[in-house]
Amino acid sequence: MKDAGPWITAAKPTYTALIDEKHLVSKLYNMVNVPTGVWINEEGKIVRPNEVAFVDDRFKTFTGLDSEPYLTALKDWVEKGDKSAYAMGEERLREKLSVNDPNFILAAAQFGLGEHLYKSGHLTEAIPHFKEAQRLNPKSWNYKRQAYALSDAKRDYGTTFADEVQKSGGSKVYYPPPDLPGATGSVDKRP
Amino acid sequence: MVKAKMAIASVVLLLGPLAMQAKQVRATIVYDDIATEVNAATDNAAQLWISTADLIRATRFELKPQGVCRDQLCFPVPKSRASEFVRKGSTATLFNLLAFAQLVNQPVAHDAALSTWYFGLRSDQRQGLASLQAPDFTLPDMAGKMHLLSEFRGKKVLLVTWASW
Repeated sequence: MKDAGPWITAAKPTYTALIDEKHLVSKLYNMVNVPTGVWINEEGKIVRPNEVAFVDDRFKTFTGLDSEPYLTALKDWVEKGDKSAYAMGEERLREKLSVNDPNFILAAAQFGLGEHLYKSGHLTEAIPHFKEAQRLNPKSWNYKRQAYALSDAKRDYGTTFADEVQKSGGSKVYYPPPDLPGATGSVDKRP
Repeated sequence: MVKAKMAIASVVLLLGPLAMQAKQVRATIVYDDIATEVNAATDNAAQLWISTADLIRATRFELKPQGVCRDQLCFPVPKSRASEFVRKGSTATLFNLLAFAQLVNQPVAHDAALSTWYFGLRSDQRQGLASLQAPDFTLPDMAGKMHLLSEFRGKKVLLVTWASW
């Protein structure tokens, strides 16, 4: 609330903005970065899972991502519903949701323990658990960034966010572009 | 026959020290992201024995004849393995929360120095993704008003997460 509150107040959102101190949504949906978007239809079914969801271009210089294709896709879905070419088929949805990777499941518990210990005043004891979460799910930027934000990343993790972005291949690959049909870089033509 | 007796003796010797390894601790159990302090007996690996009263206090699960239950949810305890889950203590019936976690395919992270156990999402809580139904959750807005994702049924939802890092 203390960190996110000022941003929400300044944005004056017309949509519902929620506070998720314990990263519950990230845990339930296996999210690994922000901003991450999920499309959910009127029946509560996921039709597009976890993907980078920029709705403006303020970070375009850093990410190389243009928000326009994502917004076009979103508007198409709003209009056409499940018939939209951007609503995914079940096979691809399951692949992208990484439903049952035991390492990811355990990583979430290690991260949760780290968060609990930190909030109880035990940062030193929390660090090994944050590191274990990062080892078990190396794709999760959330585990890295949250842990780095809570301490001196160089001292406690021997790295920084900028170093990690460089190691991953640079800021242009830090965010995989949304896999939209017809978009440049689309890797899968299935519905 | 002699060999058979020796084998049995070996098993008893192995089980004896394991049972004795369980030590009494003041433990913190974090379940559904809520922390509860309890008295427990543990060997730090496969056993975390707590009273059935503390089971309810820490997890809202309750030991019933049909299994380990919370609201409409019930997990039967395999009869042949009942001793792994339940035993009589000197003053109360004890329940092994780590055996239960294994039964319901629930990840557990442990910090030995602070005697803290964190229980992650059970397999039933992860089924939402397999079924492709959006997992439901309840979270507060800035004013503290709670919102349930499923309250938005009947509308399309764009769920976006962000952080202020």
